[in-house]
Amino acid sequence: MIGFLAKRFATMVGTLLLISALTFFIIKLPPGDFLSNQIAELRSQGDAGAAARADFLIKQYGLDRPVWEQYLVWIGVMPGSNGYSGLLQGDWGWSFEYDKPVNQVVGDALWLTLLLNLATVAFVHIVAIPIAIYSARRQYSIGDYAFTLLGYIGLAMPSFLLALIMLYYMNRWFGISIGGLYDSRYANEPWTVDKVKSLLQHLIVPTLVIGLSGTAAMIRRMRANLLDELSKQYYVTAKAKGLPPTKALLKYPFRMALNPFVSDIGNLLPHLVSGSVLVSLVMSLPTVGPILLAALKSQDQFLAGFILMFVAVLTVVGMLISDLLLAWLDPRIRLGQR
Amino acid sequence: MTRLPRSLNRPLTRRAFAKAGLGAASLALLARGAEAQSALGPSTMPLPSHWVETPFFQKMVDAGKLPPIAERVPKQPLVADLKARGREIGKQGGEVITLAARARDLRYFSAIAYNRLVGYDEKLVLRPDILESVDNQDDRVITLHLRRGHRWSDGHPFTAEDFRYWWEDAALNKALFPAGPPIFMMIDGQLPTFTVIDEVTVRYEWPRSNPRFLPTLALPRDPMIYRPAHYMKQFHTKYSDGEALAQAAARAKLKSWAALHNRMDDMFENSNPDIPTLGPWKIMNASPATRFVFERNPYYHRVDEAGQQLPYTDKVIVDIASAGLFPAKANAGEVDFLARGLSMPDIPVLKEGEKAQGYRTLLWPIARGSQVALYPNLTVADPVWRKLNRDVRFRRALSLGIDRHTINNAIFFGLGQEGNNTVREGSAMFEPDFRTRYGIYDPEAANALLDEIGLTERRGDGTRLLSDGRPVEIVVEVDGEGGMTVDTLQLLVEFWREIGVGLFIKPQDINVLRNRAYAGLPVMVAGFGIDNAIPTAEMLPSELAPIFQDNFAWPKWGQYIETKGKNGEACDVKEAKRLLELYESWLSTADEGEQAKIWKEMLSNHADQQWSIGTVADALQPIILREGLKNFPTKAVYSWDPTSLVGIYRVDEMYWDKAERRVAQAL
Repeated sequence: MIGFLAKRFATMVGTLLLISALTFFIIKLPPGDFLSNQIAELRSQGDAGAAARADFLIKQYGLDRPVWEQYLVWIGVMPGSNGYSGLLQGDWGWSFEYDKPVNQVVGDALWLTLLLNLATVAFVHIVAIPIAIYSARRQYSIGDYAFTLLGYIGLAMPSFLLALIMLYYMNRWFGISIGGLYDSRYANEPWTVDKVKSLLQHLIVPTLVIGLSGTAAMIRRMRANLLDELSKQYYVTAKAKGLPPTKALLKYPFRMALNPFVSDIGNLLPHLVSGSVLVSLVMSLPTVGPILLAALKSQDQFLAGFILMFVAVLTVVGMLISDLLLAWLDPRIRLGQR
Repeated sequence: MTRLPRSLNRPLTRRAFAKAGLGAASLALLARGAEAQSALGPSTMPLPSHWVETPFFQKMVDAGKLPPIAERVPKQPLVADLKARGREIGKQGGEVITLAARARDLRYFSAIAYNRLVGYDEKLVLRPDILESVDNQDDRVITLHLRRGHRWSDGHPFTAEDFRYWWEDAALNKALFPAGPPIFMMIDGQLPTFTVIDEVTVRYEWPRSNPRFLPTLALPRDPMIYRPAHYMKQFHTKYSDGEALAQAAARAKLKSWAALHNRMDDMFENSNPDIPTLGPWKIMNASPATRFVFERNPYYHRVDEAGQQLPYTDKVIVDIASAGLFPAKANAGEVDFLARGLSMPDIPVLKEGEKAQGYRTLLWPIARGSQVALYPNLTVADPVWRKLNRDVRFRRALSLGIDRHTINNAIFFGLGQEGNNTVREGSAMFEPDFRTRYGIYDPEAANALLDEIGLTERRGDGTRLLSDGRPVEIVVEVDGEGGMTVDTLQLLVEFWREIGVGLFIKPQDINVLRNRAYAGLPVMVAGFGIDNAIPTAEMLPSELAPIFQDNFAWPKWGQYIETKGKNGEACDVKEAKRLLELYESWLSTADEGEQAKIWKEMLSNHADQQWSIGTVADALQPIILREGLKNFPTKAVYSWDPTSLVGIYRVDEMYWDKAERRVAQAL
């Protein structure tokens, strides 16, 4: 077990190193960089003074140096303009767009992102699992067909379109303000009961919209897995021996059907941070997604690089967790034995 | 495509103008004369007979935390002449909600809350605003008189020291301004002699006229030649301990004291709530936030005739929302006032919510030379295209091949102005010929010109062939964000097919496009036309001369001028060189009549040479105004330069007519 973990850690570090190099170089691929683009924009507005200031920053952040040097400074294995200060030293760099250290920019958005995506994940599971069990037990019933139809609509509907339509009608029917995660009245207020209420109201639309396609997909897969299990001998035997149907279903077939979802946890973790970019963008939610997109578009390189690295770390950690969980859940799986 | 009878293809300038409902308002711009020169003197408005304490500050004044109003305003405040401009004396109080797409866009608030040392009024006459008066001798010796007793928003006196600090300790400091002081402060590379005469008088003196200086102070992007010295000195090594500053910079994750100074010095960007301001409202919180609050400045220098201090509204609240949600939020009644960020395609959505939510959508013409203009790149790297783009007959033919009337009807609701990329009717510089010379639809003439150039060989589908056998297919590169631009180009594909010219649209990110243009790659770019289409003679004609690299008609010539000959290429086309000469002669005269003559020759040169090919101007800018907000014009001209978005219409004079409407967003 220890040996297995050590091996896994070694590959994780290698993977992350590769990812960091790739992300950094891809961010740097488009011509120019944040500051020179900034200068062009400022100059086109006749703001020469600000352009001079941006020039000053280019030197400070070494943006005039070769890409590989910038990369090594960023991860912290080469001294920059103020010594070794990079990811390895816990310095996540500077966001030009916000004119702030990266950790401050991301930190604020992070917990709201987690909240939204946790709500979505919970919604997906709470809705999908009972429906899937129902559908599998009553295959080809009217209800099964109805849910199937709903599921396909959920899969086919572009989420951003649904988001816009729902925003409009939630505002018209229930007076919920458009966009954001709470009414802007509460923006600078401390957390009060009213603010939490407003937050919950505003969570409804994004959760529904983001969760809908996931729910639909999960119903289909869960139903298929369960149908596989339900025709197996041990289940038939259990029922023949007089085990109550619900218990018989939940004890084994259901656990087996969960396997694919456990192995999905690896993907779920990064999704908690970077999921739902499009919907967040359309709905103007103050989450990490829109920040990442804006950073990529404006080549705010340290900000974009950090978010991508963060997601990468979550992915490899998630993979490890799901491997360990699977081993614990399903006795048929053995680690590292051929 | 159905052909309209010839008679309808004549540009409808007059009619379109009347349709846009713009009679008197903008024609008043014509009525400019000698008053411009004399407008820089002190105001003749009488002081109010008594002062009225602002309700918002009453408690603080009673508690002794704030001096009473008589001691807060300067000895000689700026008394707003409301009646003369058809406005009413308002009531103080209330909040106004508006939107911005991101925290960085808060700098546009500084353009909207227009307050400048000298600023334009609604007739585009330059008048003292923060300053009490200006003595101007031939634009060579310029003396600025501050208002005695004027204070920063923190109560500290605003004096000549604030000008001295910026000039001597910032602009001339190599660490803070590595490239030297801003260019408008110099003439022929010569710096002014700066003298502090007394605590409310400073003088700038140049070896010869610097006609750029005063107009630059009134730009939407305020160059700010003064700083709150008492605040900034704590970040300057000359006045504070370098060691402590270095540590403070390190704590803020900045690399040097200079970086820290620059970070804190952002009067225009509104990102530092601590820095004092002279503006009507002061920002109260820093990003990151989804809502920014601006509160009234207790020491603001403008008052009304009744003795009330402006601004009328206590707070301006800026909510951050993605730009795509602006129309939806306006439609849901979540904003009181909004202009920047809305555009013509949003009008139906905005109109739809008016009744239910109690707001109005004002539609103002945007003063641009042309909403969509094409820029044949005269400095393109490809030699064959370069030769063709430089042939004036080719540019004229492309212009004559555009059916502007159809574009107007299809995209601009028929309300636009058809013609060249030039100044607007109503500007003192306007002549009808500037708009129509080669700016009409005449495909026969266009075909004849193209034949004359020698593009007579054609491919099977009728597309003409270049001298090296390639088809005449122009890839027009365009900023992918500009929806109206792309729509217009779609129509152009059809028109140019008639004259044997192919057109492909290549949308891309604006930054990529700029960098490609600097490198001489695009054959043609489509974008906005002239930014300032309502110029007066004293405004800089810099957009008309080949001096900027971000003008897509001549990026490399502009580069050459901007880098003082290090990069780019020297301008080598006779008619464009003439523009350079004209620009130089504008810079060397302080005589307004002379400047007007130069403006007109430059505009005539542009119409004749078609450096840029205009289509339709006067797109509409929707502006959301909540019912009950008064003292805002229903119809005026919108632009970045010179109206500073809506800045010159003085939003500090807006007020709520009824108390119950004042509270922000009662749900």
